[in-house]
Amino acid sequence: MEEVRIGVYVCWCGNNIAKMVDVQDVAMEVETLPNVVIARDYKYMCSDPGQDLIISDIKKHRLNRVVVSACSPRIHELTFRKALEHAGLNPYMFEMANIREHVSWVHNDREEATRKAKSLVAAAINRVCWHESLEKRSVEINPATLIIGGGISGITAALEIADAGKQVYLVEKSAQLGGFASKMCLTSPFMYSTTQMIRAKINKVMNNPNIQVLLNTQIEELSGYLGNFTTTVSEDGRDLELKFGNIIVTIGLKAFDPSVIENYKYGILPDVVTSLEFEGMLKAGKIETRDGRIPRHVAVIHCVGSRNATYHDYCSRLCCKNALKYANMVRAAIPGANIFEMYADMRAMGNGCEELYSVTSKKNVMFLMFDQHNGLPEIRKAGPKDNCDMIIELDEKLSGERIEVPADLVILMVAIEAHEEAKRLAQVTGVSMCGNQFFIERHPKLDPVATTTDGVYVAGSCQAPKDIPDSVAQARAAAARVLCTISKGNVEVEVTTAEVNEDRCCGCQTCISVCPYTAITFDEEKSVSVVNEVLCKGCGTCGSTCPTGAIRAQHFTDLQILSQIDGLLEKSMELKEV
Amino acid sequence: MEFEPTIVSFLCNWCSYTGADLAGTSRLKYAHNIRIIRTMCSGRVDPTFVLESFKKGADGILICGCHPGDCHYHEGNYKCLRRYHLLKKYIKQMGIEPERLHLEWISASEGKQFAELVDRFTGSIRELGPSRIKEVVNTLS
Repeated sequence: MEEVRIGVYVCWCGNNIAKMVDVQDVAMEVETLPNVVIARDYKYMCSDPGQDLIISDIKKHRLNRVVVSACSPRIHELTFRKALEHAGLNPYMFEMANIREHVSWVHNDREEATRKAKSLVAAAINRVCWHESLEKRSVEINPATLIIGGGISGITAALEIADAGKQVYLVEKSAQLGGFASKMCLTSPFMYSTTQMIRAKINKVMNNPNIQVLLNTQIEELSGYLGNFTTTVSEDGRDLELKFGNIIVTIGLKAFDPSVIENYKYGILPDVVTSLEFEGMLKAGKIETRDGRIPRHVAVIHCVGSRNATYHDYCSRLCCKNALKYANMVRAAIPGANIFEMYADMRAMGNGCEELYSVTSKKNVMFLMFDQHNGLPEIRKAGPKDNCDMIIELDEKLSGERIEVPADLVILMVAIEAHEEAKRLAQVTGVSMCGNQFFIERHPKLDPVATTTDGVYVAGSCQAPKDIPDSVAQARAAAARVLCTISKGNVEVEVTTAEVNEDRCCGCQTCISVCPYTAITFDEEKSVSVVNEVLCKGCGTCGSTCPTGAIRAQHFTDLQILSQIDGLLEKSMELKEV
Repeated sequence: MEFEPTIVSFLCNWCSYTGADLAGTSRLKYAHNIRIIRTMCSGRVDPTFVLESFKKGADGILICGCHPGDCHYHEGNYKCLRRYHLLKKYIKQMGIEPERLHLEWISASEGKQFAELVDRFTGSIRELGPSRIKEVVNTLS
């Protein structure tokens, strides 16, 4: 075996790490470890000069392994692997020790944090000794794309990709395209007709030869991987096999059901309606009570199901500006009406929204503030002597008084929830979900459209509540990412698959029984297991099941992890005794 | 001096390691005793890893994976769960208190739960006191 020569780089991350970890001490300590040729600390390892430092050291000191002790490998592992490649080293001769997310940001005691950092770096040094060069594998990309969900995001992404001349399968669960946005009357704060906007887009989709629209269709199962996915859908009772290279999930949202909030008596009092139902009224061109009268008092209640620990902690983002839109529309339709906006905090953000707020406040609209946490407004049926249908009682926060407000029509600004299909589709596509069942992007700042599954992208409100401009932007971003991979024609994939040592394999076939991808088959002639590396996703479950140690999970081999444990504990013990 | 346990933790890349990262980005504070090792899936956690860690002086071992149904590799976490129950029985026979090994599901969004779990587990190991198995192994060899 060649001589192992390791370079260790301890990052300050500005002050993020250096404040809690004595980075110089860490570098000095690990420099004494076997096989370490050089150990340095540097302000920002991920910066260009930081990477250049590694590259020049590799050449100057003939390094053949590199350890960077910095942030999470989930953020910068690829950055540093590329730096190794630049220097002519195999990118897998690299290991990262996470001393930011797992040390400096979570601990208060500088001495302990430094000690922990030392043992993590020692573990990484031990591990990297056993790293092996792995050859990159590239797969061809099928130029077709599957888009799940035919709302504004799905439509936008489909048009973007189809206009670039590539095939799109646009799958929609319901009988028509348009999604949630098509249920709206006008957009807010700039009052465009959503119907016209969406209809024009749907027409384009329908007339685009590159888009195949599949209505009343659901994706039940999915097989394959980035570049080569397959699914079967049923069209007019026939099974249709679709093949595609990328997937964009745009399944949208669901409106919160306000009947669970007793105070609002939704479903009991006929003229308490949801924002969605009110959009229906606007579309039909009349604002009236259930029995056809023109309301004299209209109240709009914000944050119904949003920003409330009992229902959803998050802000649904669209409601405030839509509520302001309603005030304007009611004022235009019924000039003499009393209009009340009952809000917890006014959060109309985005282009033109603050302006809409100030315009609305000059239109004789009463803004009343309530406290989300100390009692929501309560709606009751008015008595015979009251000159209105309902009374809303609330603790008005700014005046500090308990007041009663008349109402003939109450509009509940209902929260946006994850789609009811989200959980099922997360399982089908392998996308992760957050606690509220919105899909999680690969990185909240740096990679907001990709997901943890290669080849699967997300856009629109299935990822978090979003308005039309944000959904459109994200859909176009996802389309651009897909087009990138298509135009490249092939993509490099992880090569950390499993491998069978045929001399050691006893042919027990235990590995075959645990593989979730049926990637392992049995060679009857040789009586050994064989891994199909295209199907293998590298989970390593077979490796920890194999009784003879014949299967190696590459880049996560027993030897690598056991050495890591060794380094970790030896250093911990040694430091403890000191 | 008060006993400071050494805790080795195996986290799956997709849910739990990301959850631990989230605890960091959220600046949540937890006990420093934990040392995290990343595996792609909790299904990769070989019993040998656990036994070796005990042998080398770990006082507690915490394994975390994706919640049932959320495994990035479909069902690796179930494989881990089965192995975990067997391992608990096994380490007991070797004279290691089964409470020293713990498995919990942590999703990518559960940074807070992770921080709380680490504190809770560290506390329970602190109460148990140091593991004797390293001494035993040393005496035997």
